[in-house]
Amino acid sequence: MTINKTWGFSPLAALGSKEQQSRNLAFALDARTKLFLALAANGMIFTAPLVYSLLMVAVASILLLLEGKWKFVCTFFFVYLSAGFFFGQVKNLDIGTSGTIILASLFLMYRIMPACAVLYYVITTTKVNEFLACMSRMHILNKVTIPLIVMIRFFPTVYDEARAIGNAMRMRGIRLFSLRTIKNPVAFLEYRLVPLLVSITKIGDELSIAAVTRGLSTETKRTCVADIGFRWVDFVVWAYCIAVIVMFLYRS
Amino acid sequence: MNISLKNISFSYTDSLDDAILKNLNLEIRSGECVVLAGESGCGKTTISKLINGLIPHYHSGTMDGDVLLGDKNTADMTLAEISRVVGSVFQNPRSQFFNIDTDCELAFGCENLGMDPEEIKQRVENVVQEFHLEHLLGRSIFNLSGGEKQKIACASVSATGPEIFVLDEPSANLDLKTIEDLKEIVSRWKKAGKTVVIVEHRLYYLRDVVDRICYVKDGQIAYEWTLAELEAKGPAYASSLGLRCMNLEMLNAACHSVNRHPRSETEGIHYFSCSQLRRDHQPRDVIASKAKQSIIFSNLTFSYHHKHPILDIDCLELPCGQITALIGHNGAGKSTLAQVLCGLQGSWRQKRAARKCGTYLIMQDVNHQLFTESVLDEVLLGMKPQDEKLALEILEGLNLKQYADNHPMALSGGQKQRVAIGSGISSGCDVVVFDEPTSGLDYRQMLAVSATLKKLAASGKTLLVITHDPEFILNSCQSVIRMEHGKIVEQYPLSGNENQLIKMMTGKL
Repeated sequence: MTINKTWGFSPLAALGSKEQQSRNLAFALDARTKLFLALAANGMIFTAPLVYSLLMVAVASILLLLEGKWKFVCTFFFVYLSAGFFFGQVKNLDIGTSGTIILASLFLMYRIMPACAVLYYVITTTKVNEFLACMSRMHILNKVTIPLIVMIRFFPTVYDEARAIGNAMRMRGIRLFSLRTIKNPVAFLEYRLVPLLVSITKIGDELSIAAVTRGLSTETKRTCVADIGFRWVDFVVWAYCIAVIVMFLYRS
Repeated sequence: MNISLKNISFSYTDSLDDAILKNLNLEIRSGECVVLAGESGCGKTTISKLINGLIPHYHSGTMDGDVLLGDKNTADMTLAEISRVVGSVFQNPRSQFFNIDTDCELAFGCENLGMDPEEIKQRVENVVQEFHLEHLLGRSIFNLSGGEKQKIACASVSATGPEIFVLDEPSANLDLKTIEDLKEIVSRWKKAGKTVVIVEHRLYYLRDVVDRICYVKDGQIAYEWTLAELEAKGPAYASSLGLRCMNLEMLNAACHSVNRHPRSETEGIHYFSCSQLRRDHQPRDVIASKAKQSIIFSNLTFSYHHKHPILDIDCLELPCGQITALIGHNGAGKSTLAQVLCGLQGSWRQKRAARKCGTYLIMQDVNHQLFTESVLDEVLLGMKPQDEKLALEILEGLNLKQYADNHPMALSGGQKQRVAIGSGISSGCDVVVFDEPTSGLDYRQMLAVSATLKKLAASGKTLLVITHDPEFILNSCQSVIRMEHGKIVEQYPLSGNENQLIKMMTGKL
């Protein structure tokens, strides 16, 4: 099943690369499946042994590879495995306070990163209008979904603004790694945040004006040009997730 | 659909600027194209917000009187209902998209109105053909140029098929060629019998479509003209009201008298040529030759891919102490050149060279480059060593001394721009690059910016100004560089070549 026209793509995809990636739509999941996957993965991180979250990582990385994001998958596994390796090396040594901080952060990375991989997959591949349509299929009120979608829309804008401000700061010789920043890190944060806050409040206002003048409202029922619905890939992912959960419950 | 505004009085509750409407009456007939003109802050944008329902539904304030669309009062309609009859296009192309890609954006309005998906696809296909957008489909909003964004905005509003179009300074960020496209869009709407209301300073591109020009002053319609009536009064009258020129071909004659004394304002010299701030070392890549006649930058290249260089310039020569205009269509690589010159893009070698030679960029959105709590701090920040007396001198040169303790964000747009210039001067730069300093300004504000720039040049700084504004170039620049596809195509002094410049910019060469 191939759809030759992509009706939209995810906001965060804009962060990744300048070039638009060609997507293999045969393996595009329904937004509801993605939500279930994310929930299952997050549940596993906090309750189950590491093996289960690794099982979730496996499915997320296969899906990411199918989307053509091999760069992310490679970086992820490199960082994750090296964090795991160092953690295994140092965890039995007695290394004092600073060592403990490093150890704790390594442990955190080791445990949280699987969830991050799954979330990265979900966020970068979900399209705005598909998400809205799936939410309304699940009978979730517009009052909940519209703020959510505004939030998602906001990320790339903040990123864009922050980059412009970073440029302006570099021109003035204010850098992260400089004597001035080390002397006064609070001032650095302030220089960075004040213009960002001013410009994103303004842009947020203009964005919501753009949305309401185009008729986005809580009363009218939206339609969606994208085809949404479950396909065989969705069933495979659902079955896999449920199998993992059942296995975990049975074992414990 | 008729629009009638009856005895409207309005003031914003939470705003300090007094953009107040006082007992305003305006009738716009069905199928008419009306331009609302006037100086900044006169209330013309407020009128456009009354028509598209943002007042009273989005902005709060005290309002008297009625706005009728057809026979319905906007106060009794919801914003969603109003959006079925009124389509709005705004000034800032960056923030008027709710979706992230072009296809979704075109369908967005229709989806919100709950149309049938098949019909939406049909409508989107129609507007794509009508507006020639085939090459823009399936692209990320973040990779489009300002002009392309504005076209998508117009098309997606058009897809829902409203009866009334309200445009708020749509040409502010566009180059002349794209403005030409915008004009075609407006005339297409007019031919289809739609009512079009445009808030605008630039009148020339609407010459063939506009039925009536309403001049707003102090919250009231002060004058109403047809274009012929306004033209009969002459360009001097129009510019005295803050209007931009109405006919680009006549621009040369109009500006001739003002232009020919570029170095007459010399009173600012000693404020800016602060000898303490001069860089004593000369970088290898930048050689000041011919006894400081011109500054030469070499090896300006940049590319994302080896095969498609975005910027490919061996040598850029800027005459010292002069204002040079950098023109070229959207996407010609002008902004990239500015960023490479200022060390914000490019290889580490280019960045190091840029850092040494002291170039400073005044961005189009100056809000990005004001960080501190007071204007004085802003100027002191980049200064090494910090010298308050010198900073105050710089501020005085920019007419900002009385604002030294104010918060930069509390100033007006023009003042913010001058603060940014001040911070550039204090960081000891010799070359200042401006990215579209006059976009969206009325005639008076444009002259003020022009005066600041002339003063800066007279003090010995070298200025490069990226601009799409022929009026501004004729007013203040001494030479012109034109870029195309990342290369410098031509460079010539302005005097004697004015007609060539105008023809080039309007695309009639």
